[in-house]
Amino acid sequence: MHEYSIVQAMFEQIEQVRREHHASSVRRIRVSIGEFAGVDPTLFESAYDVYRVRTPCEHAQLQIERVPESDELLLDQVELEVA
Amino acid sequence: MCDACGCGDTKVIPLDLHERILASNERAAHHNREHFHDHGLVAVNLMGSPGAGKTAVLEATARALGQQSRLGVLAADLATDNDATRIRAAGIIAESITTGTACHLDAEMVHHGLHHLPWRALDFLFIENVGNLVCPAVYDLGQDANVVALSITEGEDKPLKYPTMFRKADLVLITKIDLLPALPDVKMATIEENLMAVMTRPAMLRVSARTGEGIPQWIQWLRSVGRPRTAPCATGMGITV
Repeated sequence: MHEYSIVQAMFEQIEQVRREHHASSVRRIRVSIGEFAGVDPTLFESAYDVYRVRTPCEHAQLQIERVPESDELLLDQVELEVA
Repeated sequence: MCDACGCGDTKVIPLDLHERILASNERAAHHNREHFHDHGLVAVNLMGSPGAGKTAVLEATARALGQQSRLGVLAADLATDNDATRIRAAGIIAESITTGTACHLDAEMVHHGLHHLPWRALDFLFIENVGNLVCPAVYDLGQDANVVALSITEGEDKPLKYPTMFRKADLVLITKIDLLPALPDVKMATIEENLMAVMTRPAMLRVSARTGEGIPQWIQWLRSVGRPRTAPCATGMGITV
């Protein structure tokens, strides 16, 4: 279940850009998961649902794009909300 | 706040990042790798199921290579110091990394583990990962080579069931081959065909830590790590260096 530590790493990245942009919350997160990345998208989503509670990502929508023939695991895009 | 009219609407900032999610692990792995190369050390990430024979392979390696080269081991498990104790008894230095509940090692854990091992004096560092065919494959530790131990008792189709692990392997050690006479249903050819099907650059060796069969070829392979390989790997009697 390394998906939990991967989601944790993603949250650290998002938190850093959120602070840099003085955003209050996150509206959308887009990630791409390569077919050979060794990461299960369903488990990734489950881990995300556990982690986002009471964080600026609590109401953020997670979009996962599966990429065939790839071992990349990327945080593609975030949409930040500045109040 | 909407700057234009002060209506109170939230402003949305879309940011294209395209960042690797494991970038911080990759930075730590790069740091480890620089350390290893600066000190002329070859680091091997040894992975495999629990019970695949990783520790036994390291014991056999200690017996075969321990007199000529300086070997060290970081042995990871969720709990206990058992593997490091076994390896030390085989005559090489070893330290445990107990991961608690973590199912894999990451580069930072290896870095911390190095603080307890006189690694700068080594020729070879073996990082015995947590027994697991899934999670360890995802984390770069700074190693020069990934080696997977696959025992013949695990089932011929393990490479097909856990392709990510075997795709990342530079070498697969097919272990416990001394048990083959007792396992009439296990087809060595099927194991090797399945490895050929999933490995990026298929390379495999049949070994027995108990009898020493295949261990000289494994040592020869180890010595080739970091140097250009002499020939492309192919199968045939399992000796494929």
